[in-house]
Amino acid sequence: MTALDPGRPGLVLQPQASAAGPARRRWFARKQRVAVQSEGRFAAALVSPALLVILLIVFLPLVYSVWLSFAEVDLLRPGGTAITIFGVRLPLYRFNGLANYSKVMSDPLYWQALLRTVYFVALFVIEAVVIGLAMALVLNARFAGRGLMRAMLLVPWSMSRIAVGILWLGMLDADFGAINGILYRLGLIDRYLSFFSDGFTALNVLIVVYVWNQAPFATILFLAGLQSIPQDLYHAASVDGAGFWRKLWHITLPSLRPMMFLVLALATVNGFLMLDLIYVMTSGGPGNDTTTVTWLGYRTAFSFFKFGPGTAILFTLTLICVALTVIYHRLVLSKFQSE
Amino acid sequence: MPTVIARNHRKLWPVLGLYGLVALVALWLIGPFLWLFISSISEQRDLLARPMPLFPPNPSFSNYAKIFGLVEFHAQHQSAQILPSLGNSVVVTLIVTALNIVLGSGAGYAYARFQHPVMKITLYAILFTRMLPVVVLMPALFLIMRQLGLQNTLSGLVLAYCSFTFPFTIWILKSYFETIPRELEESALVDGCSRLQAFVKVILPISGPGLVAAGAFTFVLCWNEFLVAQVLNSKQGTTTLPPTVAGMLGQANIDYSVIAASGFLSAIPAVILALVFQRYMVQGLTAGSVKG
Repeated sequence: MTALDPGRPGLVLQPQASAAGPARRRWFARKQRVAVQSEGRFAAALVSPALLVILLIVFLPLVYSVWLSFAEVDLLRPGGTAITIFGVRLPLYRFNGLANYSKVMSDPLYWQALLRTVYFVALFVIEAVVIGLAMALVLNARFAGRGLMRAMLLVPWSMSRIAVGILWLGMLDADFGAINGILYRLGLIDRYLSFFSDGFTALNVLIVVYVWNQAPFATILFLAGLQSIPQDLYHAASVDGAGFWRKLWHITLPSLRPMMFLVLALATVNGFLMLDLIYVMTSGGPGNDTTTVTWLGYRTAFSFFKFGPGTAILFTLTLICVALTVIYHRLVLSKFQSE
Repeated sequence: MPTVIARNHRKLWPVLGLYGLVALVALWLIGPFLWLFISSISEQRDLLARPMPLFPPNPSFSNYAKIFGLVEFHAQHQSAQILPSLGNSVVVTLIVTALNIVLGSGAGYAYARFQHPVMKITLYAILFTRMLPVVVLMPALFLIMRQLGLQNTLSGLVLAYCSFTFPFTIWILKSYFETIPRELEESALVDGCSRLQAFVKVILPISGPGLVAAGAFTFVLCWNEFLVAQVLNSKQGTTTLPPTVAGMLGQANIDYSVIAASGFLSAIPAVILALVFQRYMVQGLTAGSVKG
């Protein structure tokens, strides 16, 4: 009768063998209660520091920023009513209902930025998936130095995006950029091109640079997926005379579906949230031609210090992101439950 | 043996094609990175020369000497912030990584081993925070940090980074601890170890790969973080490397070659770490990306 198994709190509460007398059963019950309590305290002690920090730095700001999006925030006058949570005195400013949201929604700049963001995200996702998959297919082949090549994947991804921006500003510069230099040497252009003076070009350049930074991540996920495809499938297809494209379409892509969903979900959300590259490369310009919703929200809050409308803009974005994550999640779940 | 030669000949082109593609991928992945380094050891007038030299005629580390304050130059006080920011980046990143390994591993272990409704709810709450964009929290966090007096302090930055990295660490380590059989701790408990001793003396010593994956991942995230440091620590001398380097771009009188040196300096620690711990990074990435 060794029901007292300290490693498995779930098992401790199993009913005892009926042969045991009531006194013995009470003894067990007490012993188990003590064990469960100390187990619980141990678990609580382990998780509480992390939970406390997350509560203070994520959940409190989340609730507070929902409030701010419905308030008229005057940073210079934090007086008026305030509430104290966890010893933090938070000014509540003045509640003004949906005014921030209606102001944002009636601003044509917001809708232009949203449209631009959708273009940015769509193109970014397509390019990241296509280039990520192409690189994965190349790196999945057998060749000398494959390990080194896979290590190289981490270089664009592990650079800070500030460094990525600086790097590509230099590559694309109209006076000394390497791209111009190479095109000039090859005789393809007779004078250096400017990549940032036209708004639409600048937006597309931002997409390519972000793809350079992020596609290797997709490649890493695709490579993990490719390794789990049984080779027999390809052998059988070769015997049947299938070529590269047929194998890609009928074997590789269907097998990669879970990874594909993951890459799509992550790329979509990352695309919506991209901020630091815009900060270093274009600051939303020329004009507002590279202003996405994230940038608009950031600038409204921290360049013009309009926290109310700024958080309102950022919340519309958050809703889009959470909704997309949930939809992707549902799609993935339903796909894999039906299979 | 003409048939063998013919077959080899037929196979030569696909192989050449493959290596061509590999070279293309390599150029795309690290060509730009190398170019940043080449720019950083060039002189500005060599960068401006036409036709552009593919390798600088006078390579030198003078741009690095400039940003480290070793030589005087016309824009030296714009770049004087690099060294203090580098110090701040090192301090913040190392503390956050250490806290993640200590506190994150404890929490990850608890989530791997204890089933209880409260544990389940809090785990979902932690996973939920990963769906939240950090930027939406920034205005509120700015005000909260101001009220706490933690604005423009390294402690405030450490606190903020911990809350954004704990969910990743907990998730990576929870998955790792779940692969370790319970029997190991159970026999330690039978031998008279306490719960904590069983975790610290039995489980942690064999969890090296998981801890390295979580630690390296945290390091890279924190080292590269820009937005939070830019918003919370805007005062000179209190911020980290990314905002400082980004701030140099706005200055008209700094040569690109000097900025390239700063950019390369800010990138290299995370890149080297990622390459050294390549295998663990990939594990962390794949585990960290799979949302609940």
